[in-house]
Amino acid sequence: MAEMTDEEKKAQRAKDLANESKSAKAQLKQCDRQLAMVFDLNKCLGCQTCTIACKTLWTRDEGMEYQWWATVNTQPGKGTPRDWQQMGGGFRGEEPRAGQLPSKRDFGEAWDFNYEEVFYGGKGNAAHLKPSGEPDWGPNWDEDQGGGKYPNSFYFYLPRICNHCTNPACLEACPRNAIYKRKEDGIVLISQDKCKGYRFCMEACPYKKIYFNHVTQTSQKCIFCYPRIEKGVANACARQCPGRLRFVGYLDDESGPIFKLVKKWKVALPLHPDRGTQPNIYYVPPISPPRIDEQGNLDLAKPRIPTDYLKFLFGDEVEPALEILNAEMAKTKAGGKSEILDTLIVYEWKSLFGPFTTDPSTIAPRSA
Amino acid sequence: MQCTKVSGSAEQLLDPAAAAWAGVPAEALTMAATPLANQPSEYIKASRDEKQIGKCRTLNVQSAHNGTEVFFRLSWGDESENDKEVTDTNMFPDGCGVLLPIGGGDAPIEEMGSKDVGVNAWFWRANYKPDEARNTFAHGLGSTEFSKTSSIRARGAWQQGVWTVVFTRPLSVPELEKEAVQLAAGKSVKVGFAVWEGGSGERAGVKSFSKEWRDLVLDA
Repeated sequence: MAEMTDEEKKAQRAKDLANESKSAKAQLKQCDRQLAMVFDLNKCLGCQTCTIACKTLWTRDEGMEYQWWATVNTQPGKGTPRDWQQMGGGFRGEEPRAGQLPSKRDFGEAWDFNYEEVFYGGKGNAAHLKPSGEPDWGPNWDEDQGGGKYPNSFYFYLPRICNHCTNPACLEACPRNAIYKRKEDGIVLISQDKCKGYRFCMEACPYKKIYFNHVTQTSQKCIFCYPRIEKGVANACARQCPGRLRFVGYLDDESGPIFKLVKKWKVALPLHPDRGTQPNIYYVPPISPPRIDEQGNLDLAKPRIPTDYLKFLFGDEVEPALEILNAEMAKTKAGGKSEILDTLIVYEWKSLFGPFTTDPSTIAPRSA
Repeated sequence: MQCTKVSGSAEQLLDPAAAAWAGVPAEALTMAATPLANQPSEYIKASRDEKQIGKCRTLNVQSAHNGTEVFFRLSWGDESENDKEVTDTNMFPDGCGVLLPIGGGDAPIEEMGSKDVGVNAWFWRANYKPDEARNTFAHGLGSTEFSKTSSIRARGAWQQGVWTVVFTRPLSVPELEKEAVQLAAGKSVKVGFAVWEGGSGERAGVKSFSKEWRDLVLDA
């Protein structure tokens, strides 16, 4: 056999290294089961209770001020970070796709308020609560603006957390193999010991749900409340949601609502499936109110929320999903019963959370 | 490359502008992009162009020792100073490093050592506290770890488009036997260098490096 040239040796070595890295990544992605959530967008009222539940539980430390692991944004809208949907990332086919790093301004800096002046300053009604400086963006800056033209204007809320993807772009991007899926439940975590804050994960995540902590110099994100999950307690964002719209459970639990909504009835869809990461947060798409025509009459021929816009968010599968939901609504209007709608209504809150219905107040706090 | 015997103290030589450095020969090393094909991340490979990596193309290196401490003085042109404080999510600091194989073995420089032969990297970043530098060690790409302690100090100064950074460390660091290289007057070791241009988003393996090991001969 002929000797390899130096160039050939280099190319062979690069191939070997790529294969080593591939098998390491495959190991990190491997999991036996997958936890998932379904968010019913027809029930989200944008109250931000989930946002605050998460904030008060997980992101109160220094360096986490601007971090909001759970967010709710009005759609259509720029979202948070601003214009995240135009920042690339994810995969095109098998190939990772370049993404941008959002700035803190894009996320919306944490504002300082003049509490001292208003509450203790002795100024009575002369002082009003306001942020310092002249903020021009925040995590919810375009709330309730929406789209469309009166009388056919529309909006809906889009709650978001880390998607705990089956094929996480962040995990693929990390040169230190610091990101992994938990074997027992598929929760995606960033090892704070291994992370060196290089932020390739932030670039690569097409959902821009990773945050850089400039105090710890590490990247951080939603941990799917795994310490609660381990104790049988549903995630804080889900447990606190007054709208009963966040289902939590194992994707393969055929008796649970998540399996039924996602796999059986196919009325819950991932956000931007075209980004190739296979998210495990699924959405029941919003059903449109009727349009109003020029004469002021109801026009049932076309949905008020443009189908193309919903396809942009949830892919082509959104059309059949909406058809099913509309057909089920028609069925119940005619006096029939609908298992799908009964599931989505959630008569009993415990039916949201599968095995995670333990009352958090019964759990002893971890000893320090 | 010669590591010149000098008589100055660590405190004197740690100053990048110290007069003592004028008598130490400098060597200009050609720097190159780290090979993209070796990056331990398919994302980095897909999202970067090797031609755009490695902003620093020439690194001037001086090396000296005073019998107890060793010194490296690195300087390179950089039009922007990035950055004393990393406060934003899309900001990266400038930085530089000195790389030495542990135990004198033949570790591949472009792969940060191997499972068998570790490398010791002395690491400075513009956002570190004054005089701070870190001791890191690695056994292959993506495996770099910080040691819990570091006997290395470094001081950097950016002036008129030029970074100058001086590293110093005792020649011998018995407390870091497996995580650092041991040096001695009259001996020779292999050495390599790296520079990160923070303003271009260089961090981790995305950097310029000195391509091959140089033999560093410490004056007796």
